Order: sequence, then structure tokens, then C-alpha cells
Amino acid sequence: MRLIARYAKELEKAFEIITVYEGEMQREQVDKESPIIKTLAKQHPSAIWFERKMHDDFGIIIEDTFDKRPLVHQERFPKDTHPLIKDFQDKTLKEAAYLPYKYEEISGDGVFQVAVGPIHAGIIEPGHFQFSQAGEEMLHLEVRHFYKNRGIEKMLEGKTLMDAKPVIERISGNESIAYQLCWRDIVLQASRQELPLSLQKRHAFLLELERVIHHLTDLGFIPNDAGFGAALAYASKLAEDARRLMQTLTHHRFGFGGITFENTDIDLVPMQKWIGKMQENVLDFETWIMDIPSLWDRFDTTGTLSFKKAVKYDTVGVVARASGIAMDRRATLFYLEHGFVMAHETGGDVAARFKLRLAEVKNSLAMMSNFLEEDDTQMEIHTLQDGEYMSFCESSIGELFMAVDIKEGLIERFVVRDPSFVNWQALHIMMQKDIIADFPLINKSCDLSYAGNDL
Amino acid sequence: MIQFWNKRIKLGILTENPEHDEAFKLIQKEIKERVKKKFAGSLAIRMVDSGSCNACEAECNALSNPYYDLERLGIYFVASPRHADVMLLSGLMTFNMTPHVFDAYRQMPEPKWIITLGECPAMKSPFENSFAINAPAEDHLPITHHIPGCPPEPKEIIEGLLAFLRKI
Repeated sequence: MRLIARYAKELEKAFEIITVYEGEMQREQVDKESPIIKTLAKQHPSAIWFERKMHDDFGIIIEDTFDKRPLVHQERFPKDTHPLIKDFQDKTLKEAAYLPYKYEEISGDGVFQVAVGPIHAGIIEPGHFQFSQAGEEMLHLEVRHFYKNRGIEKMLEGKTLMDAKPVIERISGNESIAYQLCWRDIVLQASRQELPLSLQKRHAFLLELERVIHHLTDLGFIPNDAGFGAALAYASKLAEDARRLMQTLTHHRFGFGGITFENTDIDLVPMQKWIGKMQENVLDFETWIMDIPSLWDRFDTTGTLSFKKAVKYDTVGVVARASGIAMDRRATLFYLEHGFVMAHETGGDVAARFKLRLAEVKNSLAMMSNFLEEDDTQMEIHTLQDGEYMSFCESSIGELFMAVDIKEGLIERFVVRDPSFVNWQALHIMMQKDIIADFPLINKSCDLSYAGNDL
Repeated sequence: MIQFWNKRIKLGILTENPEHDEAFKLIQKEIKERVKKKFAGSLAIRMVDSGSCNACEAECNALSNPYYDLERLGIYFVASPRHADVMLLSGLMTFNMTPHVFDAYRQMPEPKWIITLGECPAMKSPFENSFAINAPAEDHLPITHHIPGCPPEPKEIIEGLLAFLRKI
């Protein structure tokens, strides 16, 4: 049973721990005076971050866990401060005395540590990677994040769902449409309304366009990290073309504010022409790139995640599908009717993730063509009713999960689990047979979000 | 491979906005005397993300795609603050990133400047001040210039950089 998320919320006298599995949900209550729970990490290694976060957020103690280090709170974070507790209302924090973080390290004759980050050499988001090296070979890697933690869960409490939207669409710039779709589904659940088919199509079109942009960017950056810059020039041109289309359709290059309950007419002919041209360009890119042996020499067998490990670590999205797990939130009747074909690879290496992205771009373009429709439906949203709501969306990285509790019309608890949150935890097992020079390549082939992970 | 070269020749040069070349030539001439020693004819930027949504970074990456090709103007992104004239700061200055931003700034050789990029470091994005956010950046660091936008488009970033060069 796949673990999707594990999080806590504060009730009047207790904390409620919610564990969401594929097709099942478990609730457990613990007393606020002695909030002690047992770890799930023995069955699900990906529970570790969820549980460490729960301790930082609420002070819940995970009794039998082997990793009691803070996760979100870093060296200078004040001790015994749990910001998600309702009583915590401070707007600023005072830096506490520096308490060093103890990294997981392998020691031994000739083994040395390489610390990378949080600020990296390229134009990338901040995060820390701690390598234990035997010469060039990576023995171990610890991924440490949450430098970008903006306190979004707390920030959204007490707002209405409508007021929360500008923040939700800016949680992770690369996945903005996906975040907005999760928000949309929660709005619809709360207003007890169904989305007209034409709006469903428009939103699905934008989600696939976002996927095309993100995948094309990666299809350029992955070869670039193997020293093949020409691919970046080619693919970044295509990504820019797609981003400009996003601007035409949503008046924003990243689609911020793009998901609304109003449809606007699209000129079908130029749009179909655009899709046809892009399909042609992607095919040209594919024929060219598949024929460069020195590139595939770097891609094949690099950063392998076996099917068994991919299951064990509850991975999702591109990473999971490249390791042979057939899982995609788009596997629904609606998508299947519009030409969805689940891409999947079995290699689990950089090559598999690269080929999977290519296949998905082609499928997304084909679906976009099927989603096109001339329509100007508008929809009025009724009053939102209180309750607990959950939604899922397949972002360009993988399955996105959002849960919102609404009480008296306002957000009581906001939870979001970016696909990156689980996939980051599987990164270190991908690189145990590789050299450190392969790390950027492996990292880019997964292309996980830091902002969505850190919240 | 032959297909690729055929296509390459057919496509030609895609770079847009040649007016930037002209503007830059003018500015270069204008400020040549003052920055000759400081910049040696080119401007090195260290991008630091202090807690953004990654859209500003994506737009900075887009600056090197064939349409914008920023490096033709002699402006380029460097891998270390020690190589940089300018820090391009995006994001909300999160509590966790603040000490690292200071660190990067300390490592930059004098003379140095900071340009803030996007609404976040100016605290104008829809995010609200919370315990985890230290923005606006100007409360903590000397900011010379601000490039607004959420995120600013690549063209706006280039124009913002030119505006900065006019300022100093």
C-alpha cells in the first residue's frame, strides 16, 4: 500500500494524525499533553520526512524513530518553537544560538565529505547535498532542504479559499497550473458543484501545456549537464515557444491566475497549427538526440532506481514511471477518451527518465489537440461549505496532493504534499554506483522542486 | 546528424530585440570611463535565490535561450559570489536562507551591488509576512536597483539590468 502523506492537525484537546494511503486513510488521536506516536518508517522509509516535519510543526514526538533531527528548522531556529500550533502567532523569529546539524556521514580510511550548497553554482534553487566520497565514487548522499521554507501552511490559515489562491499558485512556479487545479477541485467539492466539460478541457489543456514547457526545459538541461550544450539551445527555444503560448492563453508566462471558472474563446486554426509545428520540432529533436552515442553513454545505467526501491520509497510521477511503476493521476476516463497513453520505462536510469519525458511531451501535444474546443462557458461558484477536502493532480513532476479543512468559511488547516517531497527521499539510493560528476545529471533527470518541497 | 545541420541552417539566427545591442553600446560608451576598471567591459552576476517560487530563476535561465542570448551583451551569470560584481537577489529572504545570503554578499569583492529581482524581495508579492520570512531585503542589505514583475519577463530583466548600469 503506497503512502501518500502523513500529517497532523490541532484539535481542541488533541492532535489528530492523518495518514493517507492509496485508497485508504487512517486517523489517530493523541493527547496534547503527551503527544507520542509510533513511526511508520520501518514499512515506509518516506514516512521519515513526514514525521520529522510533524515534530517541527507541532512538537509531536515520534517515540521509536531512529532519526530525531529537525527537518524544517535549521541551525539558528529557536528551540521548542512549533509554529503550526494555533497559539503561535509571532510574525518574526529571533535567531537562536547556532546548533550544528549532524549529517549522515560514512567515515573510514580515505573517505572524505563534500558539502554542496545551499547556494549552487548555476541558476538553481537552494538546497544542501552532503556527499561521503571514496575518491570519485559516491558512498552516500544526504539531501537536506527547507532553506526556502516560507511558512505557507501557517500563512494560509484564516483566509478564505478564494483569497488563498494567489499564494497557492505561487508555491512552485513550475507547477502553478497543477496547484491551481488542486485548488479548483477543492473549491468544487466545497461548493458541491460539477465542472462543465468544456472548462475541464480548457484546464486540462493548460496542464498539458505546463507539462510540455517543463519537460522541454529538462530535455535541454539533462544533455547540457552531460556536456552537450546544443540540445539546451534547441530545447530551450521550444520551451520558450510553449511559454509564449501560455502567455497568450492566460496572460502570464507561468499561468499564474490562469485557472478560472470562465472559458474564453480560442482561435482553433492557429492553435492546431502551433501544435502541429511543435510536434514536428519535437520529432526532429528526438531523431537527432537519439543518434548521439556519446550522450547515451552518459545516460545509460546512470542513476538507476530499481523497481523494487521505487516501490519501497513510495516514489511518484516521472521517477516512478521510469522505474516501471504504472501510476499516473491522469489515468481516468476523461483523459483516456482524449488520447492519454501512460508512458512507461523500465530502466530506472537517466536514459529512462529522459525517454519518458520525450514520450510524455508527444502524448501531451496529442491530447492538447483533442482538448481544443470553441466555447465560452461561464460558471458561478456557490457558497463554499465547511468540511475536510482532499484533491490530487498529476503535475509535471508527479502526483500532487492537497488537503484543506474549512471551518466557518475560513481555512483551518492547509496541507500540500508536492511530488518532490517523496521523490527527494529516494534520490540518495539512485547514485550509489556512480561518480560525483554524475550527480548534476541524475539530479536534473528527476528535476524535483525545492520551493514546493519546502513550502 | 545531417538533418540537424539542414534544419540549423534553415532556422538561422533567432535572437530578438536587437535594440538592446544599440542601447547597450550607448550605455557602454556613456559609463565606459567610470566602469572600465570595475567591470573590464563586462558585468558578472551571481544569482541568489532566497526563497522564491522558482519562476524568477526560470526566467533567468530563459535569458540564455536563443531568443534572448544575454551573453552577447557582455552580461553573464557566474558560479561564485567571488567572481561577481552584482548579486541578483530573488525570493522572500526566508529565515533559513538569510544567513546564507549574508554569507554570499560578504564573499563578493568590492565594489559590489545588489539588484533585487521580482516582487518577493520587495515584499510586494501576494505572500504575507510570516515567522519564516525576513523580506523586504532592503531592511537587511543595501539594494541599488529593483527589477519589478512576478516574475519579470526576460526582456524586462534585460531592460532592468540596463537601467541599473545607467544608475551607477
